[in-house]
Amino acid sequence: MSLSRKPGPCADAEAASDTARISAGAAPHESSVAQRRKRSRLRRASLTRRAARTTIAVGALASVGLTGCGGGATSNNGGSATVGNITWWSWTPDNDLAAREIAAFNKQYPQIKVTYKKVPIDNYAAILKPALASKDGPDVYTVNASGRFSAEAFAPYAYDLTSDVKRLLGDDWQSKVYADGAKAFTVKGRLVAAEWAKVGAGIVWINKGLFDKYRLQPPQTMGDWVSVCRTFRANGHGCLREGLAGTSGFVVDTLHSIADSVEPGAWKAAVDGQKKWTDPALVQSLQILQTMSKNGILDEGAVGIQQYPDVNNAFLSGKVPMVQMGTWYQQYATVNSLTAALQGAGVAQDTEKITILPIAFPDIAGKGNPSPLFADPDAGQSVNAKSKARNAAVTFALWLGHTKEGQQVVADNMDSFPTLTGVAPNFDSIQLVNPGLQRPALQDVSERLLQATEARSVGISAALNQGIIDGCQAVVSGKSPSDAAATIQSAADSSR
Amino acid sequence: MTTTTNEVGAPRVRSSVHRRERLRSPAGLPWILPAMLFSVGILYYCLLYTGYISTLDWDGASPLQVNVGAANYARMLKDHVFWGSLWHTAAFFVVTFTVQVALGITFACLLHSRLYLRTLYKVLIFIPVVLSTATTAPVFRQIFAPDGELNNFLRAVGLETLAHPWFANGTIALIIIMGVQIWQSTGVVSVLYFAAISHIEPDVIEAARIDGAGNMRIISSIVWPGVRGTTIAIAILTAIGSLKTFDIPFLITGGGPSYATEFFGTQIYRVSVSLSQVGYGAALSVVLLVLAISAAIVINAGGRRGGRADV
Repeated sequence: MSLSRKPGPCADAEAASDTARISAGAAPHESSVAQRRKRSRLRRASLTRRAARTTIAVGALASVGLTGCGGGATSNNGGSATVGNITWWSWTPDNDLAAREIAAFNKQYPQIKVTYKKVPIDNYAAILKPALASKDGPDVYTVNASGRFSAEAFAPYAYDLTSDVKRLLGDDWQSKVYADGAKAFTVKGRLVAAEWAKVGAGIVWINKGLFDKYRLQPPQTMGDWVSVCRTFRANGHGCLREGLAGTSGFVVDTLHSIADSVEPGAWKAAVDGQKKWTDPALVQSLQILQTMSKNGILDEGAVGIQQYPDVNNAFLSGKVPMVQMGTWYQQYATVNSLTAALQGAGVAQDTEKITILPIAFPDIAGKGNPSPLFADPDAGQSVNAKSKARNAAVTFALWLGHTKEGQQVVADNMDSFPTLTGVAPNFDSIQLVNPGLQRPALQDVSERLLQATEARSVGISAALNQGIIDGCQAVVSGKSPSDAAATIQSAADSSR
Repeated sequence: MTTTTNEVGAPRVRSSVHRRERLRSPAGLPWILPAMLFSVGILYYCLLYTGYISTLDWDGASPLQVNVGAANYARMLKDHVFWGSLWHTAAFFVVTFTVQVALGITFACLLHSRLYLRTLYKVLIFIPVVLSTATTAPVFRQIFAPDGELNNFLRAVGLETLAHPWFANGTIALIIIMGVQIWQSTGVVSVLYFAAISHIEPDVIEAARIDGAGNMRIISSIVWPGVRGTTIAIAILTAIGSLKTFDIPFLITGGGPSYATEFFGTQIYRVSVSLSQVGYGAALSVVLLVLAISAAIVINAGGRRGGRADV
């Protein structure tokens, strides 16, 4: 067997080089040096060509890979509307409530498998943004009406649901849902999210058992509140616990309630830019918040704790008698949600379930002004435009927010209020911890929510929201309310 | 003769030719080109892109990008949170470096002595290094919570007046953050010093003992100069680590209260993600990069000067 050696890539060049050397008749040593130089050059040229080819190949592969990673708009047709696997990311509802909603959905659409992923609210925007930029993002993702994860912020990733919702509810669909929600989720003429629920705030939740134990009545004025808190503290409890740390901004609701007590309409005027945050009514509101931290209403250390999980766990496990939360908190009036929340907080299963009740925010300014609720479209379900199961995702998003079956589950979950006209919680099928006390109180909240005229967070930009949190933290830490008001105004100016 | 002449003259000619060729085309270039293009492409492109983003007013998602030139840098100069972050980083570096070095060298010296259960102590000192911050942060949050273990302990021993909402006080919160960092990093520093001390000749220490030097004198005059290189390396690592600090304040205090524990890392995250001001976040990142490189150069140069002065 003979091995034949194929000429290498340099063979022709070397031969050509030899021919050139002979014809030039160069001196022997010069010819030898030149030959070596040429060979060396040729060898290097060959290596460089090879390296360049390798580099081009690597670059081509990388660019192919990167293009794949970049995940531009897919050219898929969205797949079946009744069969498929979809993922749903949101910060709300809790896992047990989402499981109920998905189970009800699967009764109608058994071949669409929905996987729910609950993302902590503080990190939601951070996690969602890169996921949507990739090709592996969720099929359905929840957006808010305003703020850090508003429909507007994530509109570029969303599929336009206008034609689908018209097909489902007719051309007059907007008259059949919560009008503010339809408006909030329509961005540049595109319906980028299907509204799902509305939410209110401006109420305080109390642990009725603790109030009864010390024979206390819910406070109605600043004086009542101080007195109630003195009793609770004397017995080793906290009083109103609120978490000002983090970026969630529940204290914004507290300041809003105080402002409504000081001067109705002042808050809305400031949010709309018709009034400065340095207006005396708002400075007084900050002053009252500071007073609440000094006279024992607000628990110490508010600026160092978070509403979730610190305050939530302390209240639901019965350690704290009062918190300011919104209407989403009514879910913990139900046995199932309270049990799930306590398990999630690592509390023993045999812990006595507390009776939580909503009360009006006290007339803290002592001016006799009413204590209204303020409402927002809570959230909407967006469908990822890149989803390979887009049609199944549309089916789920619209079922949840625009069908009676879906909205009834949302209503009965007691997490948020339904947005489809004519749907209300079916209290006969909801197992409350203390139905006798809780049912009328919750029905009252439902009615008050319908009368809400001010928005909760719509119109408040992320920068302004942060400014209000900063201002509230500053006054609770003992800084001047005027300076805090100036901080908020500065944030409002920067966000315009 | 000719042949001889050629052989004698050839190396000179060849070497000058080679030198010219080396200058014209570096020998290893083809081999490193793919890796170089890849790293330059990925790393330096990202750096340049961050620099470009720092000149924009952009939320990171919107197609609307407004070029604002150096406005983000000008804003930084007026941002009290930025100056606060800078101050916290400086204080964090000074305190954590000083305490870590003091504890590290102490533990290393003790572990080099005839100590009972030495291996157990080594393990105990090193365990915090391998624990993730995500695991330990909730523990520290619970310890220092208003109803946490520390306050419960103080109340139980009759020191109720000392019980305090620890995280509500900015200075104390910052001290806690520093304490957690020291707790977590001292193990590594001890190991580095332990290895460095192993390279000091035992004869030198023995001779010093014969001359009557005590432990403190041996540490200050023999051990400390002998581990200078390690100390400089630790200083550079701590400085860069301080500038990059993120996980501990983010998970324990969230940068609060009122930005009292805000560092560059937490500020960049908050500005870029929570507030969607990606342009300003990129400007902060560029400044962070410049500070990290400057700190490494200054500490390294200072260390070399110190070394020459000793000689």
